[in-house]
Amino acid sequence: MDTLSFLLEGFQTALQPHNLLFAFIGVLIGTAVGVLPGIGPMSGVALLIPVTASMTAGLSPEQAAASSIILLAGVYYGAMYGGSTTSILLNTPGESSSVVTTLDGYQMARQGRAGAALAIAAIGSFVAGIVSLIGLVLLAEPLSNVALKFGPAEYFSLMLLGLAAVSGLAGKSMTKAWIMTVFGLLLSTIGLDNVSGVARFTYNISYLYGGLEFLTVAVGLFALGEVFKSILHNEMNDGDIAKIGRILPTKSDLKESAGPIARGSLLGFFIGVLPGAGATLASFFSYILEKKISKHPEKFGQGTIAGVAAPESANNGASGGAMIPLLTLGIPGSGTTAILMGALIMYNVQPGPLLFDEHPAVAWGLIASMFIGNVMLLILNMPLVKLFAKIIQTPTKYLLPLIIAISIFGVYAVQVTTFDVFLLLAFGLLGYWLAEHDYPLAPLVLGLVLGPMIENNMRRALTASNGDYLVFVEKPISLVLLVIALLWIAVPFFMKLRGKTVIVNEDM
Amino acid sequence: MKKTKWWGLLAAGMMTLALAACGGNESAGSKSSGSNSGSSASNYPTKPITIVAPSGAGGGWDLTARAIVKVLDETGLVKQTMTVENKPGGGGAVFMAEYATQDVKNDYKLFVNSPPIIINNLKKEGNSPFGYKDTTPLAQLTKDFGAIVVKADSKFQTLTDLLNAIKQNPKSVTIAGGSAPGSMDHLVAILPIYKSGIDPKSVKYVSYDGGGEAMAALLGGNADVIATDASSVGEYLKAGKVRVLAVSAPERLGGVLKDMPTMKELGVDAEFTIWRGVFGPKEMSSEAKAFWEETLKKLSEHEKWKEELQKQGWEAEYRNSEEFTKFLQEQEQQVGDLLKSLGMHK
Repeated sequence: MDTLSFLLEGFQTALQPHNLLFAFIGVLIGTAVGVLPGIGPMSGVALLIPVTASMTAGLSPEQAAASSIILLAGVYYGAMYGGSTTSILLNTPGESSSVVTTLDGYQMARQGRAGAALAIAAIGSFVAGIVSLIGLVLLAEPLSNVALKFGPAEYFSLMLLGLAAVSGLAGKSMTKAWIMTVFGLLLSTIGLDNVSGVARFTYNISYLYGGLEFLTVAVGLFALGEVFKSILHNEMNDGDIAKIGRILPTKSDLKESAGPIARGSLLGFFIGVLPGAGATLASFFSYILEKKISKHPEKFGQGTIAGVAAPESANNGASGGAMIPLLTLGIPGSGTTAILMGALIMYNVQPGPLLFDEHPAVAWGLIASMFIGNVMLLILNMPLVKLFAKIIQTPTKYLLPLIIAISIFGVYAVQVTTFDVFLLLAFGLLGYWLAEHDYPLAPLVLGLVLGPMIENNMRRALTASNGDYLVFVEKPISLVLLVIALLWIAVPFFMKLRGKTVIVNEDM
Repeated sequence: MKKTKWWGLLAAGMMTLALAACGGNESAGSKSSGSNSGSSASNYPTKPITIVAPSGAGGGWDLTARAIVKVLDETGLVKQTMTVENKPGGGGAVFMAEYATQDVKNDYKLFVNSPPIIINNLKKEGNSPFGYKDTTPLAQLTKDFGAIVVKADSKFQTLTDLLNAIKQNPKSVTIAGGSAPGSMDHLVAILPIYKSGIDPKSVKYVSYDGGGEAMAALLGGNADVIATDASSVGEYLKAGKVRVLAVSAPERLGGVLKDMPTMKELGVDAEFTIWRGVFGPKEMSSEAKAFWEETLKKLSEHEKWKEELQKQGWEAEYRNSEEFTKFLQEQEQQVGDLLKSLGMHK
């Protein structure tokens, strides 16, 4: 009851005309930021902080803080809506959290179902946004305590589960999927090791100190790889790709997506609560989960709508979940939330254990405005689907240079070095070659994301336990996760041994 | 058929290379034009000025650079257009490698930095071959200090308790920080340990990604002690979640931290300042240097700057070019000693 009255007060703050305007501007800019590769949510929010500061200059400090954080948070979750657009239409992920959306989204677009894919991404994002907000209102306090209990050992086991689940991303051959995973893990060791501070495979090249940039690798593999393939296979005159079917998803599309959206929202929310895990992992996990429980796992990667609905719901759910450690503990779970926290501090509003007591108007106003902002985003995005879907009608001879330009611009804008542009090209060639030979690309990308997390958390756990490996089975959460990981690999194996037909691929 | 394929690939490669080269040329062009006009003497500045934050958007360097530009512009202390440029990579090493070789005389490009400019130059792994000596230090503007923090219900009541426990069994205490071994949090953590004669190499240090994650590890019981910035613990202290055992300041700090003892008070002769300052190129013209010395001094005394500092929760500390350079020499000595004690000196 208490919570409800606070929330109502929050709505009073959020429904003030100027705050509605701020929320609208925020989600509008956020959508644009999400669509344009190169300006991620992080730089988008950072660049807008000084702008909002001058926009809110006339208000009282408390009001100014509420208004600007409403705008900035709008950019943050707006970008999650927009991020899917280029993934689906151009196979070019604008954000790391929409990499996995390319797998089925781009296939759908090629089959003329771009409209349905974009629409389901928007609907899924909306549902997940609302679900995670309800979770934020009801579960903020208990969940923040659970998140704290997640230590290095628990993270390690969770990541290991992610790795075990990589079979979910396999194409024709399980062996090739594992080769790619290991390759991704190897690539992830490049750079300054965060635990010992030792430089690995850097050859004193300072560009490599930070490791390979995830987005550079992903855009190169997916977008440029696809471009090279189109050029070499003379797909120039292939007019069939260009047709858009209906814009809105059909009833059966909606029915097919309902489950994935619901599961993706919840999974995304809970992964988002863990600091450091984040939206990218959430999108991968939800995709793998859907493939695992689907009755038609072979359809994944061929353009199934569940493969778009699940990850897009999950990354939005995660952005809501990430607000919990930020608001209740003052611990940012991702780069973008770290910047949001910086913005709050600028207004003398310190996120942390005292936020809800000391600045209820800001905290609850923000939460209420996120409800409103999500509705705005849905209304804003549905008509845009029509517009964006037209992009796919562009003849290939114009579209390919466009993708190359966007990829290079996007990578250069984030990294500001020509080194990363060359890296992008190299991975483009690699992506083409690998795809030609039926090596799945997603496991490589997942290995690159999970590698440092697995390694760092394992070594943190072992340092703390003085090298005792039992730490991973002594902690209950960690043990449960490890057992699931083990079963994930072992069960299909045994079922196969007993002569049952399972989805494990023949050459395993 | 095969042949045409490879021609296509070659063509695509050429095209993208050409695109990439365009990008390269452009930035090279702006650089050379910058260094040429460094000689356009007396009425400096005559052109737009860039302040570089050698990190991505949103970090401490970035916020500082943006605050400086904002106040200099609003107060009219600098009439020329000023922009902030982000140059991420290698903890600032990528930027330094370029700046110290290609912008040696570019009076129109300044940058913001903090102790990592010294640490990265001295440490063995991930070394940056260029340090503050390859620049002209112009002014220190802000300061912060390190803090040794434990959970509110920790068995360590005082710094002495902690040091005794480490002395008896270094393996029994897990210390965490938000940055890699050999970087700032680690140095702050081992500072009192080193000064009280314990071998810092025996200490168990676990690094997390950023101070926030380190704090989470402390609150969740996955670390016994953390070393972090004093300015970031206030809220947790107010909420009664943590206890600060010591701060690395020369005297007690204000605000929430006013009851927290300094290391010196506790009989450990240790001090560490986390400063932020502005640097210019090594061979800066004397006009430009004089201009910035005067302008940054005015900035440090301006009401608007003080307001900005308060907003950001930063503490002011101004040192002019000469004092700043001397201070950097002292800190280089200290950082060098700490790294040597860890066996991490280059």
